[in-house]
Amino acid sequence: MADLSVEIAGVKLKNPVMPASGTYEYSEMHKNFFTPSKLGALVTKTIFLNPRQGNPPPRIYETPCGLLNSIGIPSEGVENFIKHKLPYLKKFDSPVIVSIAENTVESFLRLCEKIEKTEQADMLELDLSCPNVQKGTEWSANKETLYKIVKEIKDSTSLPVIAKLSPLVSDISEMSLCAEEAGADAVSMINTIKGMAINISKRQPVLGNKTGGLSGPAIHPLAVYAVYSSYKKIRIPIIGIGGISSWEDAVELILAGAAAVGVGMYNFINPLVMKEIITGIEVYLDKNNFKRVKDITGLAVSSQS
Amino acid sequence: MKTEPTAKDSMIISSSLEYREYLYLTIENKDIAERSMPGQFVMIKNWTGYEPLLLRPFDIVSADPLNKTFRLIIKITGKGTKLLKFAKTGDIIKVIGPLGKGLDNFNCKSIGLLLRGVGAAAAVFLAETAKQKGIDVYTFLSASTSERMVCKSDLLPFSTIMETATDDGSEGYRGNAVDLLDKALTKNKIDRVYTCGSKRFARFVKELDRFKRTEGFVFLEGFMACGLGDCHGCTVKKDGEESYFLVCQDGPVFPVSKVVIDG
Repeated sequence: MADLSVEIAGVKLKNPVMPASGTYEYSEMHKNFFTPSKLGALVTKTIFLNPRQGNPPPRIYETPCGLLNSIGIPSEGVENFIKHKLPYLKKFDSPVIVSIAENTVESFLRLCEKIEKTEQADMLELDLSCPNVQKGTEWSANKETLYKIVKEIKDSTSLPVIAKLSPLVSDISEMSLCAEEAGADAVSMINTIKGMAINISKRQPVLGNKTGGLSGPAIHPLAVYAVYSSYKKIRIPIIGIGGISSWEDAVELILAGAAAVGVGMYNFINPLVMKEIITGIEVYLDKNNFKRVKDITGLAVSSQS
Repeated sequence: MKTEPTAKDSMIISSSLEYREYLYLTIENKDIAERSMPGQFVMIKNWTGYEPLLLRPFDIVSADPLNKTFRLIIKITGKGTKLLKFAKTGDIIKVIGPLGKGLDNFNCKSIGLLLRGVGAAAAVFLAETAKQKGIDVYTFLSASTSERMVCKSDLLPFSTIMETATDDGSEGYRGNAVDLLDKALTKNKIDRVYTCGSKRFARFVKELDRFKRTEGFVFLEGFMACGLGDCHGCTVKKDGEESYFLVCQDGPVFPVSKVVIDG
């Protein structure tokens, strides 16, 4: 049996599969599907300092092979998160990656400090790319802003930091490099892509927030390319996210250079999908005589080009 | 009440299409047959691939633990239901459920059901359970025309009294079914009224509730991707608060006083 374990910023994951932030609640509803302890890591929904209600409905709209969402990150706020959710997540046998976002550098730093103090988070994922919130994608839209936020956070925390990047830039590999230079321990990509749908009877946007983020199988090739191009430029690990709906999609991202993968909206369609992906990767490695999942990261990336 | 859904391939035991737009499905699924409650729903799809992407939510019409089956009645309207129309006996489909909070408080003597169109399907399970518990069921069934009056024969055996209304007078009272409920409330005390299938009815029941003529409940629907409380798509605004319920997790049946009925 192949070794599925991977290491991200010194944190050992038993396998490379985790939920993408905001798509999995670790709730009782999943009791009959599988235990979160099966997962490589537990990524939380993005936490802000204060509670948030999220955007007005309608919040989701189905598009060809995709889903537009304008959820807008409803959040219980960091105090409630620390009191209720974090201790619950620590009961499972997988590292906890706390996803965080804020609107200013100062509030980002305050949030990091609060999470670090609990000593219950294993890593931080900076959500620098949500298209549905105030500052959202701006954090990773230009190098100066990205460098500053990652650097400031890295200088102030001892927790490993993952920078989650947006594909809404001319060259995401440059942004990956920028995050690496600023000290990020890993990058995750891609977040959803800003999009819109219009109701032609009402002659107005479908979503309550007008715009949304596109996810689902439709965006998978964008994720593959983003990971592929970044892998060629950076040394820090990449968590590949975007349109994964099967183990084949996960393997594709790993071959493109991902050390681990995040499964997003497909959890909504098949609540067993992450478990199936873990098994699928293992079978693929065994069948192709690979001893470790690490050995196939980036195998499809040619060194010449 | 806590629900712990399963996700299973399930066989279609029977499938029939009536008036070209109502699909009646009986599906084999032990978990749902044994554990579901009135007010709960399932997410299903009978297609593979990504088009359409999401499973579709439908209220459970009845559950038969003995035969390990449950029933759905589906109005053919969009992309997903147009594919479901081709579901045949013996087909295997994806089923996630039971979902939603479910109704487990039957501490009352009488209930009224104010239903329109295919919305009536959602209340059959409730009527059946109420009848079993010795609760009087007053049913007010409405549709645009008699062909669109769904579940009349399903609801009849569980109804103490049934009155029907159509917009065109092709069945029962010609006009608005709220008139029938209004009249009934002046004669009898009806402890609770549940409504489904019409925003107009929901607003009326909200008024009844406000004036304490009955305790009102509404079956709601929402765009949802998962039904599990993960996607946060199916929001409904709380009345008097700047925050939201999730239809899948907090409903789909709500005390009508607690939610904003929009549209």
